[in-house]
Amino acid sequence: MSLLELVGVSVSFGGVAAVSELSLDIEAGEIRGLIGPNGAGKTSLINAITGVVRPIAGRILFAGRDITNLEPDAICRLGIGRTFQHVELFREETVLENVLTGLYRHQAYGTIGAALRLPSARREEAAARDEALTLLDALSLRELEGELPGELPFGIQKRIDMARALAVRPRLLLLDEPVSGMSEAEADATVATARAVAEERGITLLVVEHNMRVMMRLADRITAMHQGRVIADGTPGQIRLDKAVIDAYLGEEADAHA
Amino acid sequence: MASRVDIAAIHRRLAFPAIPKHLALSAALIAVLTLVPLAAGSYHIYLIELALLNVIVAIGLNLLTGNCGQISLCHASFMAIGAYTTALLMTRAGLSYLVALPVGAAAAALLGAGLGFPARRLSGLYLALVTLGFLEIVQIAIEESPDLTGGIRGLSVPRPHILGFHLKSDASVYYLVLAITVAAVTVGANLQRSRFGRAFDAIRQSSFAAQSLGIPPGQIKLLAFSVAAGFAGLAGGLFTIVVGFIDPTEFGISASLRHITFIVVGGLGSVVGSILGAVALTALPELLRGAKEYSDLVYGAILLGTLLFMPRGLKGLWDTLAKLDWRRVKIWP
Repeated sequence: MSLLELVGVSVSFGGVAAVSELSLDIEAGEIRGLIGPNGAGKTSLINAITGVVRPIAGRILFAGRDITNLEPDAICRLGIGRTFQHVELFREETVLENVLTGLYRHQAYGTIGAALRLPSARREEAAARDEALTLLDALSLRELEGELPGELPFGIQKRIDMARALAVRPRLLLLDEPVSGMSEAEADATVATARAVAEERGITLLVVEHNMRVMMRLADRITAMHQGRVIADGTPGQIRLDKAVIDAYLGEEADAHA
Repeated sequence: MASRVDIAAIHRRLAFPAIPKHLALSAALIAVLTLVPLAAGSYHIYLIELALLNVIVAIGLNLLTGNCGQISLCHASFMAIGAYTTALLMTRAGLSYLVALPVGAAAAALLGAGLGFPARRLSGLYLALVTLGFLEIVQIAIEESPDLTGGIRGLSVPRPHILGFHLKSDASVYYLVLAITVAAVTVGANLQRSRFGRAFDAIRQSSFAAQSLGIPPGQIKLLAFSVAAGFAGLAGGLFTIVVGFIDPTEFGISASLRHITFIVVGGLGSVVGSILGAVALTALPELLRGAKEYSDLVYGAILLGTLLFMPRGLKGLWDTLAKLDWRRVKIWP
């Protein structure tokens, strides 16, 4: 059974269609790439899945459950995590606090426990700290735990964003351009980490990425979008040779050079 | 070389275990405050009591505004609710102060949650207007029910008995207020460093990102309102026995604005800032007694000056001067 199923989803902003009657199936455990030129509707699709924008038509099912009209926090609690194209880190909190904030929903102590600092609350805080530090280790961010993220390079902020998204222990993780702002070597390392973490924790990934080289290495299967629609779907090898995909990208490059 | 190492080792063995700087400083501060009644006259005791009440209000309001980013122009109303509930339960229902005080705080917290309910979807100017409306309603409710509240003539509150002990002396009231303030500051600091404090900060900085982490903004704002109102209600309940008299003019817009000044001047989002701001601005009118007609002007100038030149408030100044690493760490060791 598919973990995520989109049926005829349309998203529009003030009459302009960003996503048109799009259907998509993602199997549990796969790493799915989502590519397409700028304005193809990739981020709109992620926003629709996570409840940030409401589709004007269609249904979104997660693990067989209709999540189309749920609030973003409710969707997260069902097991969907995400990162942001332009990182949305808490800039006044340290790197460690950012990741700890991601663990909010996995901590159970209540306001009384927090107010009186009861032993149960202390234990949970200590455990959360350990888990956050493990995530920082996994993404090679450990030595930056006390830094404020706003002062760090964009590529590192992307990794902090990923660590924070992993802290919610998602079943499905949506990565929006996870390696933008990174050098080739950094991008390769991040991709390897993302793959390893996803496999180890049984996380299904949906990755939006412009960097085709990275996408070829990361994804099991790629879906190509253009003007709000799916134009191709297949293995990285098939996608690379797909005429519609090449046209869409060449079209964009031709525009860019014009 | 070897001998030097040995001496260092001996020193280490003889040294006391390291006490965190803020714990040591808090202990010293509490010790000094404990000695106050021995040295100070009743007027100065009264002033310090007012400062302590203001610290409680500021701690609560700072969680709501400094951490969670929600403005409240009606904190004086929550104080009024705590004060009147406590006073009426004592004078009319004959309840012990030890029961009336927490019930008053709980009543304020409940109304805070009630106000937080519509406020969940509002922010900025709209929230300011809603809280301003609430302030007016509470004022009118107190003024227009003289049979219950004494209306504009106010309500006298006798010094209470606690567990058979009459809080007759200034010192006895002072110690009660001090003990409750220390407890309230501890609870405030604990909350700020908990997962709820982190959720408050998350909502303020990016509600969008917070929601993506499964944090429900509505519930969190409701909690912040309710906690902040509870602190104000507690301070209101203490106000009844510190002053011995309450009337609606104490709980108007100017008191509300003063509360906001405490946390802005002290430092938004910081427990230490709440303490510094409340204490400094309670002491200020005393220092300005010679120029009473200009005191509003000085208040305004301080607020403006802080916003322009010291955006992190006295707490920021303190950090810079003392180089103390008191950055808000919301992690328990």
